[in-house]
Amino acid sequence: MSDKKNGFSVTVRVWRQDGTGEPGRMKAYKVSDVSPDMSFLEMLDLLNEDLIKKGEKPVTVESDCREGICGCCGLVVNGDVHGPDEHSTVCQLHMRRFRDGDVITVEPWRVKSFPVLKDLVVDRSALERIMAAGGYISVNTGAAPDANAAPVNKDDAEEAMDAAACIGCGACVTACPNGAAMLFTGAKISQFALLPQGSPERQRRVLSMLEAMDREGFGNCSNEYECEAVCPKDVKVANIARMNREFLLANFFGKAEPQSAGSRD
Amino acid sequence: MNIAFIKRIIFTSIGRKTVMALTGLMLGAFMLFHLAENLLLFKGEVAYNNWVDLLLSNPALPLIELGLLAVFLAHIAAGVWVRIEDWLNAPRGYESRKWQGGRTIGSATMLYTAVLILAYLIYHMLTFRFVDHSIGFYQMVTSAFRDRTFVAIYVGGAAALVLHLSHGMQSAFQTLGVNDPKYTPFIKLGSWLVALAMIGFALISVYFLLNMDACPADAIYQVTIQ
Repeated sequence: MSDKKNGFSVTVRVWRQDGTGEPGRMKAYKVSDVSPDMSFLEMLDLLNEDLIKKGEKPVTVESDCREGICGCCGLVVNGDVHGPDEHSTVCQLHMRRFRDGDVITVEPWRVKSFPVLKDLVVDRSALERIMAAGGYISVNTGAAPDANAAPVNKDDAEEAMDAAACIGCGACVTACPNGAAMLFTGAKISQFALLPQGSPERQRRVLSMLEAMDREGFGNCSNEYECEAVCPKDVKVANIARMNREFLLANFFGKAEPQSAGSRD
Repeated sequence: MNIAFIKRIIFTSIGRKTVMALTGLMLGAFMLFHLAENLLLFKGEVAYNNWVDLLLSNPALPLIELGLLAVFLAHIAAGVWVRIEDWLNAPRGYESRKWQGGRTIGSATMLYTAVLILAYLIYHMLTFRFVDHSIGFYQMVTSAFRDRTFVAIYVGGAAALVLHLSHGMQSAFQTLGVNDPKYTPFIKLGSWLVALAMIGFALISVYFLLNMDACPADAIYQVTIQ
């Protein structure tokens, strides 16, 4: 894979931890024959191939699509959430951003609600539990409904799409000084709040999802917008404002009560 | 009686922030009013003392003061609660961690400016509110501002207010769900103008420190904290 002629070497300082609750530490490895065309994850693959050859445990790292749309990969590279590129995932980071002899610090998301499972992999199921609390709509069973049965304003559809672009990677929580999941939850509530299909569960959704979010132990929003600055999908903090609006309307003018996780009525 | 909606305002993350935002906007409005009152100091002794007499003649004044105290306490309580929770949940343990461009000096120093403003407020109360007012309010205030230490504290307090409001005012609108590309730039501009208006408090104290009202030295009274 690597072009030996143009290859360079970097030192990777990576977080090693055997399991949740186990003590972890930073460990430095030298990676040679790195091509500037490689992605950052391919460089970690190269490191792992080398570690396996030496009989050492490879660095566990999560990745799936490697094209910036699945939200699996997520690392803090040299102190930058998802690496130095703006609005990008770490799989879209390439080694041409680094030079020969660079020391690269690679750390996992360090968020209370995302316990480290192993090395660089964290458990982000807290985000899934927020989704499970209210991130769904009711549809009739039977034949698939006609695609355009419910008319939708194009501007609203586009805004809902922008919110739905959230890939749930958790970068917003990681970037937040308070470890808050407001941008994630705001996006997930907005994608339904903007569309007629989301309207039957609208009030219950915001109350249930916020209750789940608080239960998972995420912090509060202090409107510093670090989340927006790192979001690989450029999800806007206007979605947090919409969630706040939805909450206030549901709390003061709605009849719905939150539905605790796991129960369906 | 269903009190779940009240519990949600106190015990949920967005509820507490709503309390902080609403009380913050009220306090911001009060600060503007208080500044307008004190600009009368530039107008002179008669104008200022007449205004204070009018204020004191209001029989509801103690109730209004208690209301203001309640707003302050609610703002502080919500702030302390939110901060403790944030501190408990803050990501930590990074070997290297950079801020990504969302933070401002105002937003990053909210806790510190809050503590400074509280200290300044307590000092302000001890020197102007809970003292003997028999020499007249104008005399009391202007005499105090001839003292360098006193003015330094007031300038520091005003600076803390500018920083605190530069983030706090616009943040309050976001928390209350008021964010739209159409008017958010105006909210940000307006918030900055309100924040910068707090420089007025510093200007008042410096004006009297530099004796710009040309007050004769024998008319200056020394204020002492009781």
